[in-house]
Amino acid sequence: MNKKHIKIIEDYSNIKGRSLWVDARRRLFQNKAAVISLFLIFLIAFLSFFGPFFLKYSFSDTDWNSIYYPPSLNNGHFLGTDGNGRDLLVRILYGGRLSLTIGILATLVSVFIGVIYGTIAGYFGGKLDIFMMRVVEILYAMPYLIFVILLMVVFGRNIYFLFIAIGAVEWLTMARIVRGQTISLKEKEFIETSKALGQSNFMIIWKHIIPNLAGPIVVYITLMVPSVIILESFLSFLGLGVQEPLTSWGVLISEGSREMETAWWLLIFPGIFMTITLASLNFIGDGLRDAIDPKEY
Amino acid sequence: MQLTQKNIKNNNLLININKLNVFFNTPEGLLHVVKDVNFNVKKGTCLGVVGESGSGKTQTFFSITGLLAKNGYAEGEANFKNYNLITCDDKIRRGFLGKSIGFIFQDPMTSLTPHLKIGDQLAEIAIYHKKITKSEALQRAAEVMDVVKLPNNRDIINSYPHELSGGMKQRVMIAISLMCEPDLIIADEPTTALDVTTQAEILSIFNDLKNNLNIGLVLISHNIGVIAETSNQVLVMKNGQILENGNTHEVLTKPKNDYTKHLLSCIPPWIKN
Amino acid sequence: MIKFITKRILIAIPTLLIIIAFSFSMMRVAPGGPFTNERALPPEIEKNINAAYNLDKPVYEQFYIYMKNITRGDFGPSFKYKDFSVKELILNGLPVSVTLGLSAIIISLFLGSLLGIIAAINRNTIFDYSVMGVSLVGICVPSFVMAPLLSLFFSLYMGILPTSGWNNGNILNLILPITALSLPQIAIISRMMRASTIEVLNSNFIRTAKSKGLNESYIIRKHVIRASILPIVEYLAPASAGLMTGSIIIEQIFGLPGIGRYFVVGALQRDYTLVSGVLILYASLLILLILITDIVRAILDPRVKI
Ligand SMILES: Nc1ncnc2c1ncn2[C@@H]1O[C@H](COP(=O)(O)OP(=O)(O)OP(=O)(O)O)[C@@H](O)[C@H]1O
Ligand SMILES: [Mg+2]
Repeated sequence: MNKKHIKIIEDYSNIKGRSLWVDARRRLFQNKAAVISLFLIFLIAFLSFFGPFFLKYSFSDTDWNSIYYPPSLNNGHFLGTDGNGRDLLVRILYGGRLSLTIGILATLVSVFIGVIYGTIAGYFGGKLDIFMMRVVEILYAMPYLIFVILLMVVFGRNIYFLFIAIGAVEWLTMARIVRGQTISLKEKEFIETSKALGQSNFMIIWKHIIPNLAGPIVVYITLMVPSVIILESFLSFLGLGVQEPLTSWGVLISEGSREMETAWWLLIFPGIFMTITLASLNFIGDGLRDAIDPKEY
Repeated sequence: MQLTQKNIKNNNLLININKLNVFFNTPEGLLHVVKDVNFNVKKGTCLGVVGESGSGKTQTFFSITGLLAKNGYAEGEANFKNYNLITCDDKIRRGFLGKSIGFIFQDPMTSLTPHLKIGDQLAEIAIYHKKITKSEALQRAAEVMDVVKLPNNRDIINSYPHELSGGMKQRVMIAISLMCEPDLIIADEPTTALDVTTQAEILSIFNDLKNNLNIGLVLISHNIGVIAETSNQVLVMKNGQILENGNTHEVLTKPKNDYTKHLLSCIPPWIKN
Repeated sequence: MIKFITKRILIAIPTLLIIIAFSFSMMRVAPGGPFTNERALPPEIEKNINAAYNLDKPVYEQFYIYMKNITRGDFGPSFKYKDFSVKELILNGLPVSVTLGLSAIIISLFLGSLLGIIAAINRNTIFDYSVMGVSLVGICVPSFVMAPLLSLFFSLYMGILPTSGWNNGNILNLILPITALSLPQIAIISRMMRASTIEVLNSNFIRTAKSKGLNESYIIRKHVIRASILPIVEYLAPASAGLMTGSIIIEQIFGLPGIGRYFVVGALQRDYTLVSGVLILYASLLILLILITDIVRAILDPRVKI
C-alpha cells in the first residue's frame, strides 16, 4: 500500500451529500466498462437506423456477380455477401434495426404490465397480494419460451404479435421487483402523510410510488432488452419469429450457421454484432445498478 | 470494587498496544480511522472503551485480531505473548484466536451460523484447538453454559440460532468465547442490541467472569454508565484517537478532557457514585 | 416432513391444472385446431381426432376427457405425423433429451458452483478475473451462436468431433451438444455462486468463525457452503427451464432426434397436440423440480418452516 499516491482523508464527515441522481451519474461515468458499452450501443443503434442510407447496396439487392463473396474493401461488400449475393453489412444493420426495436417495444410492454401488476399487489397487500403473487409463481413455473411458441403457433407468426407475446411472458420479474419496492415505500413517512391528507390510492401510487420506482425500473429495462433480443433471435433462429423478407440477427445467424461451411462470415459477423450488443447492454445494466444503489444488490 | 493502579504488577501485563493505526481504502481515498493508539490490558482487570459511534472502537480491536475488512490494514504493535499480532504470521494469530483471545460481537442476532446447531458451534472451537472428541467438547460446553447461566439441556444444544432469543444468543456467544479458557476476552458492545433487563443480566455475567477467572476483559461500549459499573481502567475515544486513558474512578471524577466531561454530563448522577 | 411435502403437492396440482386448461383453451381458439370443425386434414387424421375428442360433446365434457387422457399420459394423436400419437413421439425423443438435459444440469451445477466458490475465495486474483471473463462470454454469446461456432471449430476446422447426429448416444457425438448446452448455465451459476459466497464471507457469522481461529478451509466447508449454495438450489428450476429451451436449439443444430426436434417441427407445421403435449410435459417437470427445490431448501436451511 503506497500512501504517498493517495489523498489521506482525515476528516470524513463531509463526504456524503449530493443528490442521488447526480451521484449515480458520477458513479456510472466512473465505470469504464459501462461508458464504453454506452458508446458501443449508441454506435450500433445509430448505424442500424441511419447506416443503410449511406451504403451502396440496399438490403434486398441481389448482386449475381458476387455470390458468397468474402469480406473485402474492394467492391463495397465490406462484410461479404450471402448465397443470393445480398450485402451482409446492410442486412446486419437492417436486422439490428428490427432486433433493437423488438427488444425495446417488448420490454416496454412488459414493464407496463409488470409495474401496474407489482404496484397493485404491493400497495394493497393482504389477500390480493398473496393471490397475485401466487399467479406470478405459477407463471414462473412455465417454460416460457415454449409458451411463447404455443402463442405464436396458435395466433400465427406476426411480428407485432411477437413482441406482445414476448412482453406478456417477460413481465414477471418486473412485477416482483416493483412489488418489493412498493411494500418498502409504503411504510415511508411521506406516504403516510399523503394518506392522512386524504389523497386517493391512485394518486398516491401515481405521484409517490411510481416516481420512486424509477431506479429499479431503469436498471431492469437495460437488463431486459438483451434478454428480449435473445428471445426474438431464438424464435427467428428456429423459423418461428421474423419471416423473410424481413430479417433480424436471429434470422441471419440461423442462415449463417447453415452455410458456415461455405461462408464463415455469414455466421461470424451477425454473431459479433449481436454479442457486442448483448454484452454492452449487460454492462450498462450492471453499471446502472451499482451506480443507483451501490449497496443493495 | 475498584483496584488501584498500584495493585497491578507489571508482570500481569497481557497485551500491549503501541502506536496502532488503522486505514481503509475507499473510493474517496484512504480513511485513517485509528490514529496512534497506545494502551495496555492487564490480567484480572477490565478495560472499558467508550466513545461515540464511528470513533474507531471496533476497528481498533478488529485490527488486533485480524478481523479487519478486506479494504483495511493496520500498522503498529499489539504485543501479546511475545508476538506482535499486527505483523505476525496468520497461522500464529489464528492459534491465539479463540484459544487465548475470545471475541464477542456487537450484534448477537447475526453472529451465529444459521445452519449449525448451537451444540456444534460451541463444540467445534474446543475440538479444533484442543484436539478433543466431540463428547468431551460437549461436556466442556455444559460447563460454560452453566457459567453464562444458560439452562443446560439438550434443547439448547440441539436448537438452531433462529430458535433462540437475542439474550440467549449473546450468552451462547459468551459461552463460545469461554470454551478454551482464554486469557483475554474482548466484548464489543455486548449489550447494545438487548433489552434493559437482559443487559443487566449479561453485564453481571461479565462481572462474574472478571472476578472469578483471572482474565483480562475489554468491554467496549458507548454507554459510559456500563463502563463505570464494570471496568477498572477506561479509554475514551473520539475520531480515532484516545482522548483519555486512566483509572476509571479518576477519569469519572476528575475528567481532564472536555469531551469526557460532556460524556459524563449525559449519565445520571446515581451511577457516578 | 411428510406433511410439508403433501402440502407442496397440493399447491402444485392447481398449477398444473391451470397449465392444462390454458393449453386446452389455446387449442380451442386456434384456427384449424383440434376442437374446431373447419379443418382441411387428411381423412385418416381427421378420423383419429374425432374419435379421440368426441367433438360432438359439449366443451366441459371435452375438457374432462382431455384431462382424463392426460393423466394417463395420453396427449392425443399427432396432427401431422400419421399413425403416431403425441405420446409415441415424446417417448421416441425422450432418451435423447434426457441424456442431454441430465448431463448438462449435473455438469452445470457441479462446475458452476465449484468455479464460483473458488473465484469468491480468491477474489480479485487472476483466477477470479478469468473465470468471470469466460463466464461473461458464456452469458453474452447466445447458445445459437456458440453452438455453430463450436462445431465450426472442433468439427470442421480441427476435425476431432462429429458435426451432428445421435449415433446411439456415442460419447463423441455428445461432447459438443452438452458443452454448448451447459456453457450458459455454468456461466450463470458460477456468477451466482461467486456473489452469494462473497456475501456469506462478508457476513457476521463468518467473522465469528474467524474469531474462533478456525482455518479457512474448515470455515468454507462447515460455515460457508451450506449458506452460499442456497441461491443455487433456488435456481434449479429456472436452470432446468433454461436447459429445456436450450435443448430445443441444440438438438436442432446438432441434428439430435430429441423432444425439442419434434417440438420445432410440430410448431412449424402447427401440430397443436404435439406442441401442447410438450408444453404440459415440460411444465410438469418444472413443477416437480420446484417441489424438489422446496424440499432441498428445507433440508439445508433450518429457518425454513416445515
Ligand atoms: N470496511 C470499511 N471501509 C471503510 N471505512 C470503514 C470500514 N469499516 C469501518 N469503517 C469506518 O471506520 C470508522 C470507525 O468504525 P468503528 O466500527 O471502529 O466505530 P465504532 O467506534 O465501533 O462505532 P460503533 O459504536 O457504531 O460501533 C467509521 O467511520 C467507519 O465508517
Ligand atoms: Mg463498533
